[in-house]
Amino acid sequence: MLDFDNVKADMILTRYDIKMESQEKPEAIAARMLPKDPLLKKVAEDVLNLKGKLIEDDVKAALKENSPEDVIEGGLLKGMDVVSELYGRGIYYLPHVMVASDAMDKGMKIAEAALQHGKKVKGTIVMHAAEGDPHDIGKNIAAVLLKSNGFGVVDLGRDVLVSDVVAAVEKNKPQMVTGTALMTTTMSAFPKIAERLEEMGINIPFVCAGGAVNRQYVESYPMGVYAEKAAQGPALATKTVEGWDWRKLRDKWDDLMAGKA
Amino acid sequence: MSLKNFTKMEYGSADEIVFGDAKYPLSYGLGLKVGAGFVSPEINFAPRPGSEKNPESLTKEYVEYITKDIMNRAVTLGFPSLQLENEWIHQMGNNPEKFAKPVVAGQKAVMQKFHDEYGVACAIRHTVADPRLAEMGLRPGMDKTHMYPEKTLDSLEVAAANGADVLSIESMGGKEVADYAIVRQDIRGWLFGIGYLGSIDMEWLWPQIVDVAKKHKIVPGGDTNCAGANTSMFMAGGYLDKDIPRVFAAVTRAIASARTLVAIECGATGPDKDCGYEGPVLKAISGRPSAQEGKGAQDAHADLMGNLIAQVCDLWSNESVEYHPEFGGSSVQCWLGVIGYEAALMNAAKQMKQDKVLRDVYVASDRFRSPEGFCMAYDNAYKIGQAIVSEGNNYYLRAKAAGLKACELIQESNQKGKLKLSKQEKDTLNKMLTDLNSLPSEEGKFVDWALKEYKNVPAFNPKNYEL
Repeated sequence: MLDFDNVKADMILTRYDIKMESQEKPEAIAARMLPKDPLLKKVAEDVLNLKGKLIEDDVKAALKENSPEDVIEGGLLKGMDVVSELYGRGIYYLPHVMVASDAMDKGMKIAEAALQHGKKVKGTIVMHAAEGDPHDIGKNIAAVLLKSNGFGVVDLGRDVLVSDVVAAVEKNKPQMVTGTALMTTTMSAFPKIAERLEEMGINIPFVCAGGAVNRQYVESYPMGVYAEKAAQGPALATKTVEGWDWRKLRDKWDDLMAGKA
Repeated sequence: MSLKNFTKMEYGSADEIVFGDAKYPLSYGLGLKVGAGFVSPEINFAPRPGSEKNPESLTKEYVEYITKDIMNRAVTLGFPSLQLENEWIHQMGNNPEKFAKPVVAGQKAVMQKFHDEYGVACAIRHTVADPRLAEMGLRPGMDKTHMYPEKTLDSLEVAAANGADVLSIESMGGKEVADYAIVRQDIRGWLFGIGYLGSIDMEWLWPQIVDVAKKHKIVPGGDTNCAGANTSMFMAGGYLDKDIPRVFAAVTRAIASARTLVAIECGATGPDKDCGYEGPVLKAISGRPSAQEGKGAQDAHADLMGNLIAQVCDLWSNESVEYHPEFGGSSVQCWLGVIGYEAALMNAAKQMKQDKVLRDVYVASDRFRSPEGFCMAYDNAYKIGQAIVSEGNNYYLRAKAAGLKACELIQESNQKGKLKLSKQEKDTLNKMLTDLNSLPSEEGKFVDWALKEYKNVPAFNPKNYEL
């Protein structure tokens, strides 16, 4: 056996991640984005710092001085905004987002209970993993990211029949529907869903993603809009509720993903 | 508990393990020998979208196009031997009699024809689908909607009865808790999901697979934690990815080793599954032949140990490629060429008695590329194997020991300035060490704690594991 410790790894590979990491300054980003109000700031910091154990008390304290809407928008969702920014810059990893989201959910339950007119969401999204597909981790991550950005999610789960997806869209009247699939042979459910929705006169973006799914395939059927990663969901959903239809989402897809639209 | 837990290593030292040789070689199929001083390519494939429309179109795709193309190219390039692997698509597992049976029989007929005509040694592994959903029930009688547990067992029988030479599965037990844990970077949850629940599910499933294989006089190959540890590996990704830290993926792989070993303990003989990157640990412990994939699997995914993982393989795989045209022929023909030439290189090295040198060059080129590759380097894989067998009679303790050993190996190399870690990776490593060390030393206490801690995980039902 060779003495592997004599191998000069730097001459074989480049750790680009380590080269890049020193350029990031998370504290400065957070300080710029966090709210000024001290009570709301505390709530946002609980989300940012993954403090699920503190957040319920801090939300209750914030509700004494602020409306539930302000606690949600200015505290909980603002905290998630910072988390999303740090994730987008590669400073936070996905688990930070998930645990922050768990904390936000705890706070959200208390704030929503105080709302007089019920929960307000930016829009509704129906999500599913394709029939025959037991892999749903990507869909679950996307659901968390969408909820964290203020969208209402109807999660149908995994291995969902075409007819069940169509029925859920008809019932919930969402602004967007999503599907994920790992295999090319399960993603073939997507055009069937699109066809059925079209027959019913439903014309909303159908965002599709997953292992073997590619942009060319998704754009081969009506309503299909491709997503490469779960993190792209909020941008697509935001444009949808702003009025972009699926054709515009397709046309402007490159600009949108590059943050230029 | 399972039939025979490993409490000692079958190899006396790490240096004894090398590609192409296994302590317990196998002969099966149409003249194929595995682990008997030779490496063979194992070509894996997937049908084009739309071919699953009906049994006739699927059979045509698999038999008339894919299998014929593969056998033709193997002869064209002069490969003495090869294995095919058909990982079943959902439609086959959902209706095995209708969709799978003609495929399995048709593939074998084509292989037999080429074997008779040219003498090419070949065999086919059928990896049946495991579509079971934890929320519906993992055991027969529980899933009244899809009957997936029953269909999984039916699939094994259909495959074995109609032409499979090797039976495998990518089983899903514990995935519901592991998925929850991966995205929260919770190594204790992973340990519970894969190390504990996954092992229990394997212990239920694998004796049945072994029985079916014995009945039909074929080989019970092995399992893989593709559904868990590979999810972890792919999420950790390369240097541009920040979904989960790579140290986390490395430790999940070590824990997965303890779980995947259960198949062999239940009677599986190998060759282990190509996508089980935990294969080096399994081979070190059990001496059973191993299939692996790395740089030749770029058709399916990228990983950070493309060369290293070839170190101790007996079958060298491409993972899976969708059937489509390339400039050099069909995709299966091109990728068979890639893995077949690599196997030829290994076999030439064996003849020239340079196999251990080539093994070490494979390892040296990737050893410090990622924590996971570092842990699966055969010397470290051997140490993780030793940690597992030291607690071999207890699923919980051996999985915990594997995880801790991986943490220690990574930390030690990092402190020596060899395996580099980002700040996030160092923080994660320290947290995993703290979390694993904080766990109780008694299984009962751990399970009591875990059942409370993870009771609200969507889809987790303790009854799936008789808990």
